[in-house]
Amino acid sequence: MNHIDYYLVLSGLLFTIGGTGFLVRRNVIFTLISIEVMLNAVNVALVAFNRARPENHSGQVFAFFMIAAAAAEAAIGLAIVLSLYRLKRTVRSDEADLLKN
Amino acid sequence: MIATYAPIFLILVLSSLIAGAFFTGASFLGTKKPTHEKMLPFECGSESTGGRHVKLSVKFYLTAILFVVFDVEAVFVYPWAVQFRSLGWLGLGSMFGFLAVVVVALIYVWKKGALEWES
Amino acid sequence: MGLVFALSPLLIIAVGALLLMMAEVFFKQRNGLALGATLVFATAGAFAGSIWMVGVENLPGIEALSPWLITDRFTLFFDMILCLGGALASLLAGGYLPEHNIDRGEFYSLLLFATFGAMMLAGSGDLLTVFLGLETMSLGAYALTAFRRASPRSIEGALKYYLLGSFAAAVLIYGFALIYGATGHTDLAGITQVMASGKAEMPLMLMALGLVFVGLVFKVSGVPFHMWTPDAYEGAPTPATTYMAVAVKSGGFAMMLRVLLTVFGDAQSMSWSSGWPPAMAMVAVLTMTVANLVAGRQESVKRMLAYSSIAHAGYLLVGVVATMRSQTQASAAVMFYLLTYTVSTAGAFGALILCGSRGAEAVSYEDLAGLGRRHPAAALPFALFLLSLAGIPPTAGFFGKWFVFHAAIDGGFYALTIIAFINSVIGAYYYLRVLVYMYMREPAAGAPVAIPMKSGYVTAALVLSAILVIALGLAPAGTLDMAVQAATHSAG
Repeated sequence: MNHIDYYLVLSGLLFTIGGTGFLVRRNVIFTLISIEVMLNAVNVALVAFNRARPENHSGQVFAFFMIAAAAAEAAIGLAIVLSLYRLKRTVRSDEADLLKN
Repeated sequence: MIATYAPIFLILVLSSLIAGAFFTGASFLGTKKPTHEKMLPFECGSESTGGRHVKLSVKFYLTAILFVVFDVEAVFVYPWAVQFRSLGWLGLGSMFGFLAVVVVALIYVWKKGALEWES
Repeated sequence: MGLVFALSPLLIIAVGALLLMMAEVFFKQRNGLALGATLVFATAGAFAGSIWMVGVENLPGIEALSPWLITDRFTLFFDMILCLGGALASLLAGGYLPEHNIDRGEFYSLLLFATFGAMMLAGSGDLLTVFLGLETMSLGAYALTAFRRASPRSIEGALKYYLLGSFAAAVLIYGFALIYGATGHTDLAGITQVMASGKAEMPLMLMALGLVFVGLVFKVSGVPFHMWTPDAYEGAPTPATTYMAVAVKSGGFAMMLRVLLTVFGDAQSMSWSSGWPPAMAMVAVLTMTVANLVAGRQESVKRMLAYSSIAHAGYLLVGVVATMRSQTQASAAVMFYLLTYTVSTAGAFGALILCGSRGAEAVSYEDLAGLGRRHPAAALPFALFLLSLAGIPPTAGFFGKWFVFHAAIDGGFYALTIIAFINSVIGAYYYLRVLVYMYMREPAAGAPVAIPMKSGYVTAALVLSAILVIALGLAPAGTLDMAVQAATHSAG
C-alpha cells in the first residue's frame, strides 16, 4: 500500500487540523468549518483506500454519500448558529454559558 | 511522471515571488501620509451612515442552504443519468423514489414561503 | 413481494413522515398531527410484529437488499422498541406543544424522520448504512432539541449537542474508513470474515477500534463523553428529551451491538487481554458512578432525569461487556433492558410533562412539593415510573436490571456486578427524593407550584407506559424470550 501513503498522511493531517481547530476555536462558525475539514479528511482516506484495493467501489460510494450527509449537517448546524445569533447577537461560544453544572 | 508537472510548479513559485515582491516593495517604498478622508471605508464615493450592526435577514441563509441541498440532490442525479440504460427499471424506480422525497421537500419549502424574496 | 413486506416498517415511517409534512402545510388545523404521528408509529410497529410472527425465514426475496439492510429478528425487536418510543414521544408532544406555545407541526415529521434513521441503524449490515442511519437520526435529534427557537437555553443545549455530536460522528467515520482500509470490505459480514481469517492489517484495525470505541461511547452518553447529555436534555422541549433519552439511546445501543459484535467480535478483539472489554468495563463503571453521584446534587428534576439516563446507559454497558463471554444471553439482556428502560423513562418524563401547564414547566423539586396531596392522580404515575427506574420489584425496571446482572454473573464478571448493584442502590436515593418531595413535603407559602395540565394525549401515553411497566414487571418471560430469539438470530 505504499503508493497511497501520501494520501493517508494528508488525511491524518487534515483530521488533526480539523480536530484541533474544533477544540480551540471560540467562534462557532470556525468550529463548523473544522467539522467540515474533518469530514473531508475522512473522504480523502476512503478514496485513497479504494485506490489501494480496486476490487470494489465501496470507498468511493461511501465518500459520495458522505458529501451529501456533510451538506445536510452543515445546513442544520448553520440553522442552530443563526438561531443563537438572533437571540444573543453573538457567535462566540464562550458567551453561550447559561447551562452550567 | 511527476516531472511533467514541474513547469506548473515553477510558474506557481515565480508568480508568488513576483506578487510578493510587488507587495513588499509598495509597502517599503511608498509614502505614508494618512489623512482622515483617506482612512474612511470606501463606499463608491458616498458617505457611510448607520451603525456597524446588520439586521440579518434570514432569507440569505435560506437561499444558500436550499441551494446547497438541492445541488447535492442534483449531484446524485448525474451518475444515474450517465448510467441510465444499464441500470434498468430498478434504477429508474429507485431514482424516482429519491426524487419524490425531494419534491415533497420542495413543495413544503414552497408553501411555507421560504422561496419568497420580497416578504 | 416479500421484500416490500420486510421493508414495510421503514416504508411506512417514511411515507407517513412525508404525508405529515404535506398535511402540516396544506391543512390549517393542528390537533390531528399528534394522532397521525402516533398512528404511523403504531402501524410500523404492528408491521414489524407481524413480520416477526410470519417468521423472517419464510419471506422470499429478503436478501435482495443485503448487505445494506438486513431484516432479522434483531432488527424487528429494535423496530418495535423504537416505534414504541416514538409513539410515546408523539403522544406526549400532542399534549405538551400546545400548552407551551410551540405547536408547530414539524415536530412530528422530525420525530418520524429520526425514527427512520434509528430503524435503518438497527437494520444495517454495512458501514455505509450505519453511517446514514446514524446521521439521519442525529440530525433529527439536533433539530428537535433546537425546536424552541425563542429560548436561549434551548439553543445553547442544541448547539452543544450539535457540535459534540458532529465531532463524535466524524471520529466514528474515520474509524470506519480505517476499517475499510484494513479489510477492504464495508459490509459487516465481509469484515467479520476477513478478521476471522486473519488477513486484516492489525495496526490499522487497532486505531480503528480506538476511534470507533470513542464514537460509540459518545452516542450512548458514556462517561467521559457524556458532557453534552445534561445540557441537551435540559434545553430541549420535554417530549424531545423523552425521544432522545429513549429512541436515540436505543439506536445507539443497536449500533453498538451491531458494530462491536461483528467487526470486533472475533476472539482476539473480544479477549480481556487485548480487546475492547476492559476499556468498556471501565467506561461502564465510570458512567454509573459519576452519573449517580452527580444526579443526587441536581436541583432540577429534568436534569436529574438526564443524569439518570446516563446511569442507565452505564448499566446497559455492563451488559455489553458481558457479551464477551455469553454473547446471546447478554445481548438479549441488553435488549430487554432497553425495552423496560424505554417505558419507564418515557413514563417518568411524561409524568413530569403532566405536572406543568400553560407555559410553566415543573422544573425543580420545590415545584413538585406536596403533589401527592394536591393532585394525587398526577403523582401516582410519577411514583410508579420512578420506582421502575430505581429497579424496585414488581416493576419492569427490576427485571431489566435482574437479567443484565444475571448475564454479567454468568459471564464471571463478579466485581462489575457488585459495583453495578451498589450503584443501583445509590441511584435509588435521587428517585426516592422526588417521592419524598411529592408525598411528604408541603410547598412553601406563596411559592409558585406547578399545576398539572389536562391533556388526553399525555394521559394516554402515561396509561400505556404504566400498563407496559406493570405487565413487564409481572410477566417478563414472554418478552425476554423474544429478546433471546432476536439475539440468537442476529445475522452478525
